[in-house]
Amino acid sequence: MSEACKITVERRNDVAILFTDGYINNQGGEEIARQAYAQLDAGARALILDLEKTRIVNSIGISILIEVLERVMDRKGVLAFCRLTPTIDKTFRIMGLAQYAAIYPSLDEALKAVAAAPRGEAARNP
Amino acid sequence: MTRTPTAPPPGRAELWKLLSESLRSGPEHPLPRRLVDAAVAWSGAREAVLYLRERDVWLPAITTAETGGLVLPEPPPQRPLPSGTALWIPLEAEGEVHGHLGLEGVGSEDQEDLASVMATILGSLLGAHRLSRLVKEAEFEVKTRLLELESLYDLGLSLGGQLDIAALGDEVLFRSISLTDAGKGTLVLFDEGGKVLFERSLGEELVAADRVASWNLPEGESVINNAAAAAPTAGMRLSACQKCLAVAISVGGRRLGVLAVADKESRDGGVLDFTAADARLLSLFANQAAAAIETARLHRAAIEKERIERELELAAAIQREILPRALPQIAGLELAAANFPTRQVGGDYYDLFPLSRGRLGFLVADVSGKGVPAALLVSTVHAAVHLQIDDARTVVELVARIDRHLRRYAATRKFLTLFFGLLEPDTGTLRYVSAGHNPALLLRASGGLERLDSTGVPVGMLPNPTWREEIRTMEPGDLLAVYTDGLTEAVDEGDLEFGLARLERAVEERRGLPAARLCDEVMGQVADFARGMPQYDDQTLLLVRRT
Repeated sequence: MSEACKITVERRNDVAILFTDGYINNQGGEEIARQAYAQLDAGARALILDLEKTRIVNSIGISILIEVLERVMDRKGVLAFCRLTPTIDKTFRIMGLAQYAAIYPSLDEALKAVAAAPRGEAARNP
Repeated sequence: MTRTPTAPPPGRAELWKLLSESLRSGPEHPLPRRLVDAAVAWSGAREAVLYLRERDVWLPAITTAETGGLVLPEPPPQRPLPSGTALWIPLEAEGEVHGHLGLEGVGSEDQEDLASVMATILGSLLGAHRLSRLVKEAEFEVKTRLLELESLYDLGLSLGGQLDIAALGDEVLFRSISLTDAGKGTLVLFDEGGKVLFERSLGEELVAADRVASWNLPEGESVINNAAAAAPTAGMRLSACQKCLAVAISVGGRRLGVLAVADKESRDGGVLDFTAADARLLSLFANQAAAAIETARLHRAAIEKERIERELELAAAIQREILPRALPQIAGLELAAANFPTRQVGGDYYDLFPLSRGRLGFLVADVSGKGVPAALLVSTVHAAVHLQIDDARTVVELVARIDRHLRRYAATRKFLTLFFGLLEPDTGTLRYVSAGHNPALLLRASGGLERLDSTGVPVGMLPNPTWREEIRTMEPGDLLAVYTDGLTEAVDEGDLEFGLARLERAVEERRGLPAARLCDEVMGQVADFARGMPQYDDQTLLLVRRT
């Protein structure tokens, strides 16, 4: 795994999927935030962060993800995570991210859930 | 929403409404920005600046002016302060100043009322915001500590059940980097012999794996070096980092590896010093990891031992099928043989071939190596001898054919020493080739002893080999002893070898005994000499006496 986190974005109607690859630290978190805000500004209603290729996240990365979550909630949008390692899953639950952003085992399940979630309501954690 | 400075100021209810609307709009901006925007909207100021305290220093956090013309007076005012066309308002709540708002271009008739209202309302909002931020930070800190504890607990659980060294190493490295907020890290683990078993880096490698063994880290405690770019860390110059935290992973004083993390990140992109708390956390991780790595290593060793035992059993089965079950009865000859595989199985092989005209062919071979590869080569030699013995016209030709057969069919690049003899019982003529084999012992009935030295190179060792056939005559009563080096190189508890001289004496002293008993007693004497010490090579002895 390289040091720098790479983000690729896929847009499906009003849902933006951000695929992360690498360490979600200060640099990785900032890059996620940049891409997420750009998608929100471009009309995305829901963001899904697919962390399949991320095995490590630090507290700074988490604090940036919390900022992204707050921004999404301010915009009455929806944020969801999918394909987390068990370690990152537990980390997000302890750090409170899972309280307002649902976590799904697969991208398909995340897509279905955010499609069903009305604007302004967090998709329910399964 | 901006009013002209000449318009009359609104009442407090209107101000509150105005503020509420301003604060609700643009929620993507942080509250201090929205406060400033609301203050400008309500007061009609040309520009505004809000100073907030960061680490006991007042800094301009929000400003509407590009030029930065409004500068907080020194010392900061404790009450509203008109300063030329500017007005400075300390934003206070609960007896504490949370910010200083500077407004440029407000009418002097408005200033007193403006200052009073803003100090109260904006001060309260800013105080609440600051308090909320402090609570959030404290919550985050508490959750981070909880995460550390949970991680240590999880690490213990997951490592205890994790027997794959690579997965275990990743778990240790990633959690260490994550929980110390490091930007990079390196983990190197060694096996018992000090060979690198696992190496993994996130980001640039902090230290090359082949240098880690000489890293003089103390046992059981982490070393902090917040000047790692300039000075060595526990004697090791590290590359590609500014600050470093490193710990040795050890069990019972035995070094299992080294874990190092570097360059603790800060939210503003800088590099923070590692703290004593970071060091304590990394030490705890190293302790957990040491126990888990040792468990995984022992588990792996147990699996390896089981695999070797299975392999040896298989090889032993192959060998049992190859060695003759019974010795042939040849008129005019008395035969005896013994084979003790020392580690269940080895590379010794002997065989006897009754041939036409009452002749006897016999062979003792010693294959290099052990285990299944050696047993398979023995199997190949066995096949080669049995296939070629009827077609070969001379002993040399037979050995050459075996050599060619091995080169063509043997799966492994191994070689063997062998002694092949062809004896005519009627005349006592012995033709033999010794391909790099230990000297066979020819004990004359008359009392002498002759060593039959090697007459060529081991089979399968060199390209284009040649061998020389030697001929001796065995008189009635003469005894030929052919053996493998497992006998002469058998060791006692002091690592002393049995040796050729002792073997010669053992055979000579018993030359009058029947061959079978002589064979038993010589093998017994070697076993007595070794006193139960584990031996590293098979022991084979073949005796041929002309009667």
